[in-house]
Amino acid sequence: MNCVEWEERIALYAGGDLARAEAQPVERHVAKCAGCQVLLSGLRESLALVREAHGEPIEAAHFAAVRARVLAGLERAPARRWRYAWAGALAAAVLLVGLWPRPELHMAVPIPKAPAAPAIARTVPPPHPRALAKPRPPEPVQQASAPMVVKLLTDDPDVVIYWITGTKGE
Amino acid sequence: MALAFVTMAQAVDGPGARARMGDLPAFDSVMRQHERLVLVTALRLLGNLEDAKDVSQEVFLRLYRNLHRVEAANNYQAWLYRVTVNLCHDIGRKRRPSVAMEDMPELVSGAADPQQSLSGAERQRLLQMSLRALSAKEREALVLRDLEGLSTEEVARALGSSEATVRSQISKARVKMHDFVERYLRRRV
Repeated sequence: MNCVEWEERIALYAGGDLARAEAQPVERHVAKCAGCQVLLSGLRESLALVREAHGEPIEAAHFAAVRARVLAGLERAPARRWRYAWAGALAAAVLLVGLWPRPELHMAVPIPKAPAAPAIARTVPPPHPRALAKPRPPEPVQQASAPMVVKLLTDDPDVVIYWITGTKGE
Repeated sequence: MALAFVTMAQAVDGPGARARMGDLPAFDSVMRQHERLVLVTALRLLGNLEDAKDVSQEVFLRLYRNLHRVEAANNYQAWLYRVTVNLCHDIGRKRRPSVAMEDMPELVSGAADPQQSLSGAERQRLLQMSLRALSAKEREALVLRDLEGLSTEEVARALGSSEATVRSQISKARVKMHDFVERYLRRRV
């Protein structure tokens, strides 16, 4: 009889992994096969040996070392999170200050009130035909401290463009 | 060894629940409950204590991050076995240990029954070397079933395999391990 085909089942039987119905044919075969009796007892002895070795205690210091490393890692983790939070808050603050509108820029360029525009436009004499062809050059600004207002005339008499700049040409 | 289930009282007031709230002494007691399972399983799978300690550390850090999920599932052991096996598998893929009988040093003993006369250190050595003679999957199945005592169903769940596959791996692993032990002891005599 070729016992190789029994090997897998005998190995399972040795570890108690066969149900009663599966175990019975194995028991019948082993009872009449000396080679498989040796295999079965050898498998059981090997299993007992490795289980005994596995059950031997490990030095407590190894467990303590692992626990200490884990707890040290967990204690460090919140501190690291706070450090990142502070760095993030600082970066946000710097960004906010950089983007915050600076008051002096707004004061340098006062925006003219809406009704003033048509009033200025009406004071302009009727355009000369040549003047209509190209915009008149801006008049020189005498006062350096006042905002400069440049008025541009277009071909359409109803459209006048005002260019308002700061004293530094901003 | 059947997997233990955490009772409802433990889930509410136990160290796991307190650890989830950031109580590190409570987490320390959770680790004490399960440290043998993790370190010894990792040691059997990797064959190296320092690697096993590294894996144990990582397993417990992951446990801390996943306490809410593990507590909800009410089964620490299944989770710990699964994560330990997966981490060991990742490390094992990078370092493929292999052992040949020829690599083993000659042992000096003339005892009539070599198995009886093995010292504790020799037994440990034989266990580790015989495990290294198995494939990774066979080793995982044998360690969980025969050494840690899980049922075939629990092993299949931890390894993400079918029970039929696990049975096949266990039977092959037992035969290979038996061959290794037999040859080792024969050489010893």
